[in-house]
Amino acid sequence: MNTTNEKMPSDQSKMPNGEPLASGPSGIDIGTANIVVAQKTGKREITRVQLNAFYTLPYSRMTELALLNEGGMFVKANGKIHALGYQAENFANIVGGIVKRPIAGGILNAKEEDTTFIIQALLNKLIADAPVKNTKICFNIPGSPIDDTVSVFYHEAIIKKYLEQKGYQAEPVNEGLAVVLSELAVSSSNQPYTGIGISLGGGMCNVCFAYLAVPVVTYSIRKGGDYIDAMAAEAVGETPGKVRIIKETQLNLTKTPVGKIETGLHIYYEQLFGILVKSLQTQLGSTDRIPLLRKGVPIVLSGGVAMSPGAKEKFKLALDTVRLPIVISDIILAKQPLHATARGALKNISSVKSGK
Amino acid sequence: MTAWLFGICAVIIHSPDEIRARIIEETLKARGMNVCVCPTLADMDAMLKQRSSWVVILDTCHSLSAFMPFLTRLSQKKREGKALRISLILQSEDFCVQSDEALQDFKFRRLFCLPDPIDPEKIADLARRARPSIIPVIIAFLKNTILETIRLFLKTMIIFFILVIGLAGGYVVTCITSLPSTESIENYTPYQSSEMYSADNVLLTEFFIQRRTYTPLSQIPPHVSQAIIAVEDTRFYKHNGIDIIRIGGALIADLKDRTYAQGASTITQQLAKMLFLKPDKTITRKVKEIALSFKIEKNYTKDRILEMYLNQAYFGARAYGIEAASQTYFGKPITAIDISEAALLAGLLKAPSLYSPYKNPKKALKRRNLVLKQMIAYDLISSGVYKKAVTSPMPEKFHGRKYKAPYFVDHCRTVLKPKLGDRLFSLGLKIYTTLDYKMQEIAERAVNRGLDELDKRCAKGIQAALLAVELSTGRIKAMVGGRDFQISQFNRATQAWRQPGSAFKPIVYLTALNQGFKPQNTIQDSGTRYVLKNKQTWTPRNYTGVYHGTVTLKQALAHSYNAAAVNLASRVGIKNVIRTAQRLGITSEIKPYFSSALGASEITLLELVCAYAAFAHGSRIEPMIINRIMDIDTFTITEPRVSSSRVIGERELAYLKSLLRAVVLQGSGRKAAALNREVYGKTGTTNGFVDAWFIGFDDFLAVGVWVGRDTLTPIGEGEAGSKAALPIWIEFMKGVQQAQ
Ligand SMILES: Nc1ncnc2c1ncn2[C@@H]1O[C@H](COP(=O)(O)OP(=O)(O)O)[C@@H](O)[C@H]1O
Ligand SMILES: [Mg+2]
Repeated sequence: MNTTNEKMPSDQSKMPNGEPLASGPSGIDIGTANIVVAQKTGKREITRVQLNAFYTLPYSRMTELALLNEGGMFVKANGKIHALGYQAENFANIVGGIVKRPIAGGILNAKEEDTTFIIQALLNKLIADAPVKNTKICFNIPGSPIDDTVSVFYHEAIIKKYLEQKGYQAEPVNEGLAVVLSELAVSSSNQPYTGIGISLGGGMCNVCFAYLAVPVVTYSIRKGGDYIDAMAAEAVGETPGKVRIIKETQLNLTKTPVGKIETGLHIYYEQLFGILVKSLQTQLGSTDRIPLLRKGVPIVLSGGVAMSPGAKEKFKLALDTVRLPIVISDIILAKQPLHATARGALKNISSVKSGK
Repeated sequence: MTAWLFGICAVIIHSPDEIRARIIEETLKARGMNVCVCPTLADMDAMLKQRSSWVVILDTCHSLSAFMPFLTRLSQKKREGKALRISLILQSEDFCVQSDEALQDFKFRRLFCLPDPIDPEKIADLARRARPSIIPVIIAFLKNTILETIRLFLKTMIIFFILVIGLAGGYVVTCITSLPSTESIENYTPYQSSEMYSADNVLLTEFFIQRRTYTPLSQIPPHVSQAIIAVEDTRFYKHNGIDIIRIGGALIADLKDRTYAQGASTITQQLAKMLFLKPDKTITRKVKEIALSFKIEKNYTKDRILEMYLNQAYFGARAYGIEAASQTYFGKPITAIDISEAALLAGLLKAPSLYSPYKNPKKALKRRNLVLKQMIAYDLISSGVYKKAVTSPMPEKFHGRKYKAPYFVDHCRTVLKPKLGDRLFSLGLKIYTTLDYKMQEIAERAVNRGLDELDKRCAKGIQAALLAVELSTGRIKAMVGGRDFQISQFNRATQAWRQPGSAFKPIVYLTALNQGFKPQNTIQDSGTRYVLKNKQTWTPRNYTGVYHGTVTLKQALAHSYNAAAVNLASRVGIKNVIRTAQRLGITSEIKPYFSSALGASEITLLELVCAYAAFAHGSRIEPMIINRIMDIDTFTITEPRVSSSRVIGERELAYLKSLLRAVVLQGSGRKAAALNREVYGKTGTTNGFVDAWFIGFDDFLAVGVWVGRDTLTPIGEGEAGSKAALPIWIEFMKGVQQAQ
């Protein structure tokens, strides 16, 4: 009983693991699959990840106690109880259900009820109110999708509004640019913050060609890890959930695929990268903004989808099939693909804005 | 210090595109420049009130004209009654703005026009250069005060003085001011030769002032550097830029005799000297050289200095840099140079022309052997090597380069030189021409074969020219200007004004068609007497001496009846014929005489072929030689546009083509019917068989061939256009068809 009490979060400004909530200037990455918060405390940069998901149960005291026991990642409303983040997945697994997501294809899923409420709840669990009014916070926004007419305006406004309610001065940063800021401080081209940042997320791929931290070309495509899962699952007659687990745990894209699921995954990785490099060709090729570059620029890959071993090599193969108007010097993998966007958003506050 | 320098001249940017403005802004900021982006032109106006000297960067995006009112305002802007001093960097989509006269009239302090894409680094360089500099102030000070005093001293005292000022002033100047910065040494891009390509990517030639290829020291054989150090600066690795011991030695040797191997300057000093663009013998200059030498020594390793020197030095025969020298004198890369060859190159440095193995073989030999002696004296080679080296032969052959399609290349150079100036030779441009090298080879073969045949029939010395132009665009696809460019560079396709003879007649017929004549209408081919201006009379005669009476236009042109043509010209008016010629793009003077109807007024093959191109499509075209010019960073600096304008009406065009087709089917051009496709054309022969022509076209090319002698004497009896020129034309057309 004693141990249970210790685990109980008596203080709401603490994370389930006892760490204090983020409260200073922070960078936030609200993705389809994950929410990541990066924060600087002293010299150290801390990042926290939560699943951007919820699972709704009818309210009962038992359930509430169980959730409290497991770290308090839940919120009550209208006679319902919503488990949040990893907790939501745990509960869904126990009950045999599927988690829901407030973000679909990278953009706030405003059609579903409760989604803005859930996002608020999730952010509340990750970020404390601003310790000082107008503490800066920077959050990611996707580039305009080129394969969809949906606008990111609503998404951006809702999140900004909510962060402002918490006392922050909230500023958006393009997700691809955030990747560049995080990973290309010193790049092989000798020009800092110059290159193409690509975030391969669950719901979308975000791309930004930045020149000295200026986002010259930004866009997104509304396909990502979920698309790979869904398409491969459909093709081989499995559930997307199972396919995703295989993808995250045993897939190696440099090796010959074993079994139908891996084969399906290989094929849809290739297809997604094919779409992506084609889009690079057309998007970079149809602008008069790209300056003359005397050296090649790097491409940096980040996001969960980039984490499969061999993703970089597969991407390179795809890239060789197109001709870009700029020379690519290098393809690099973000040091921590899941955290790159949040770290870049943090950097957007601290270093870049104050003149590097 | 630098921030302060930049601070005295602010840089402002405006672009309708925020991102483009920010790209420029960030680049300039990264270079430590103070810069402001003005979101609107009104913001810019407000800014300009603050000071009198500005660098304005204006990105016009896609509408230079939209900015013209602003530019006018800008150029007239005054502050406290005095005109603003504005350096304008104009980023524009269109390279042509450079030559926009309105802009030139604006009297900006400096004006730079840059084409898209944005080249932020170049803009930063220009902005930096456009800022007022403090250097001239210092130089002026040195000139006015120190120089005056120094002039009073004797020559030897002056030399002494140079040293004192050089040493003391050098350090001071180096530390305090930004006198020739060593950064500029590093950034010093040696002149790069430009390359000219055909449209199918065959390298035609290189243009260069200085043949230069940058070779790292690691690729230069040690004996080459040793030979040079031995003769130019033996204490190179010991001194720190200036070699006082040497200066003493050189002075004494200079007084005694003139055989001292080394000059007074160290390699570092010589390098410093090379970095000043213009030679200048003033004392301030000497001071600067010495100051710069110290600075170089401070910033670079000895090896790097030697490397820069070897790549900069002049070896004579337009060879700059060691690699170029090796190629020029020995026709091989520097890596393949042996000791005696290295010694020869080293010996050249002191006085490249005096010691040239081509001009002064004896002096060159003596000099080379002196270098070898120095090498043995400094233990750089063994006596065995020395003995072998002193006996090796000297180079004899000049390894100059030949080029392909020489007449065309030469033509391009003549056209480009006034436009590009020395940039043609020094900027490392890639010039993509319109020439189709495959077609060019066919043309050269056709001309050579034709000339071979003519040589069999006639006396030597016949010349020929061929020109092929793409109908739809005016691109010159092949050009032969004569028999052998090595022997005669005179380009008979573009520079020879010759009488076109009957090849001119279609212009007369076109004038008639324009006035409502039809091919089946008749005219008189008879011995009419025409009264000329000088009251004399003239009766045109036919080639065969026979008149044919009433003939159709079609017959008259097909058989090239002279009397009929003059008759027609007199009916349509020779002035109108001239006007037609001008509309077709002929700029040579066509004299208002009836004989002009028979082609008595001289024009060039190029003009004639372009006129015939219009006969094919109805549109006048401008001949094009350049597809695109790219600079060393492979961005396009010019890409001429195809220009054509409609000059012949639909109906007239159809009639004219039927006339020219009849020439091939029934008339003087019958041989061309052997080509199994629709070709059109006209022969031309001038009095006494002096010129022979065939000009014609298919549906892709307009092609003209001229045959004649530079001396304006007859080619040979009976050598009419159909006999002398047409076979070359047919041969070419056949070749082109086969190649496709
Ligand atoms: N180790 C892994 N290997 C392969 N895919 C992974 C891995 N980890 C996560 N993913 C996939 O990455 C996607 C989520 O990446 P993330 O960058 O967090 O997306 P988002 O920005 O949309 O939240 C999901 O499709 C997930 O399946
Ligand atoms: Mg993400």
